[in-house]
Amino acid sequence: MKRIVDVNIPLGPIHPCFKEPIRLKCEAKGERITGAEVELGYMKKGIERIMKGRPWQEVMFLAERVCGICSVIHNMVFIEAMEQISDISVPPRAAYLRVIANELDRMQSHMLANFSYCYTIEHETLGMYLLDLREQVMDELERLTGARVTCAYIIPGGVRCDIPKKEAEALPANLDRIEEDLRRYAGMFEGGPMIALRSRGVGLLTLEAAQRAHVVGPTARGSGIAVDCRTNHPTYRKLGFVPITRTDCDNYARVMLRFDELFQSIDLIRKCLRELPKGVVRGGGVCKAGETRYSGEAPRGELTYFIKSDEFGRIVEIQIQTPSIMNIEACCHEMIIGSDSIADVTSTFVSADPCVACTER
Amino acid sequence: MTTYLYEQDLVTQKYRILVAMRHDSLVRKIAQELNIPVQELRRYLIEHLDMIQLENLPARAEMADDHADQGDAVARALGREKYSLYLRILSGATMDAIFSEVDARVHTGTPVDDAIAYGRTQIREALKI
Repeated sequence: MKRIVDVNIPLGPIHPCFKEPIRLKCEAKGERITGAEVELGYMKKGIERIMKGRPWQEVMFLAERVCGICSVIHNMVFIEAMEQISDISVPPRAAYLRVIANELDRMQSHMLANFSYCYTIEHETLGMYLLDLREQVMDELERLTGARVTCAYIIPGGVRCDIPKKEAEALPANLDRIEEDLRRYAGMFEGGPMIALRSRGVGLLTLEAAQRAHVVGPTARGSGIAVDCRTNHPTYRKLGFVPITRTDCDNYARVMLRFDELFQSIDLIRKCLRELPKGVVRGGGVCKAGETRYSGEAPRGELTYFIKSDEFGRIVEIQIQTPSIMNIEACCHEMIIGSDSIADVTSTFVSADPCVACTER
Repeated sequence: MTTYLYEQDLVTQKYRILVAMRHDSLVRKIAQELNIPVQELRRYLIEHLDMIQLENLPARAEMADDHADQGDAVARALGREKYSLYLRILSGATMDAIFSEVDARVHTGTPVDDAIAYGRTQIREALKI
């Protein structure tokens, strides 16, 4: 007679569906997941320790290297935290250029996340389409900032350089083309019957559980929580930003929400280009002593820097709370518990867009 | 002989998480609240929570401060939802049993502060510290 026993199923640290090494020890009863434990430590950089005692000029480059996928927002949050400490104002043109760089970064991150999800549920065709589109967004980011990743574009009191005239003229047309392709790919995902079978009603994260775990970003917004740090940012407020939410609470909602946000990012960039004020992009300023907590909206959610600096602009204390900490925790202790199939564990995990590099720092 | 990283003892890594700036202040705050030694609480957390739960402790504590036990002053003072649902230091059943005892004492006329102090003693017992 067949007997159902409790089984420990280790996933990772190296797994074809994971972009980065992490170990999930899943406990299953038959195919049903009853518990999970996470082991980190495979890519610990100790970057907060490295940052301590260094001047901000060095730390701004280290901050970008916390994560290669969302490096622009790490740069932005660190610099804006230093600006808050030192009371440095940003020229309006630079503030708009920051939004453009940040939204391009968000677009490429969301496309990569949705590629990963499609790849995990064996829809590689759509995944590759998205990856191809991501390259076009990366090209736009490179034309604006000079680099694909770790751009070091945002500096205290402004941005490193103005948008090239040619890029400012070409970007709207390129965005039109990207949007057209994206609409087709979002439609493929939305209407795919096999995709729905693997995604709808899978990896449920209730609103209450999401709130308890302090889930942030698209993972929270996919569970109906309208939380987005961009609503508190002065430039985004000027642009009339309103967060998008979905209430399905499943994998499908999280992926579709990222598609929705891609269109929203395109609209925000267009609006920035239309309303781009004239003037300088570097206002200057001196970083001073102080202590602050500053949050910004990374592609994966709320990214918070706790910084204490001395009178020479050296970082005395720093701690980074990345969105993946909250999202991975909720994913492993709420979303995958009760999954009817072990095959859903990887897809649910990837649907939360986990970034292990950010989590371990 | 080849040894794999994932077979190693995780205590050192977990300890490093707990002594980070925000984690350390949270652990000290809980230890003070429950009147238990900091090192003992750290040991308990390392034994009972996995690495990602330890990383997420300060964020969960913030949410507990904002949302836990909104309608019940006694439950909030005891940390009923905070320690069970949010921080997951104790199981829901254990915390409910402790809260029932405290609530019964309050209803029979015991001063609230004394009842909470008794509840915290029970929490310490449950943590076996």
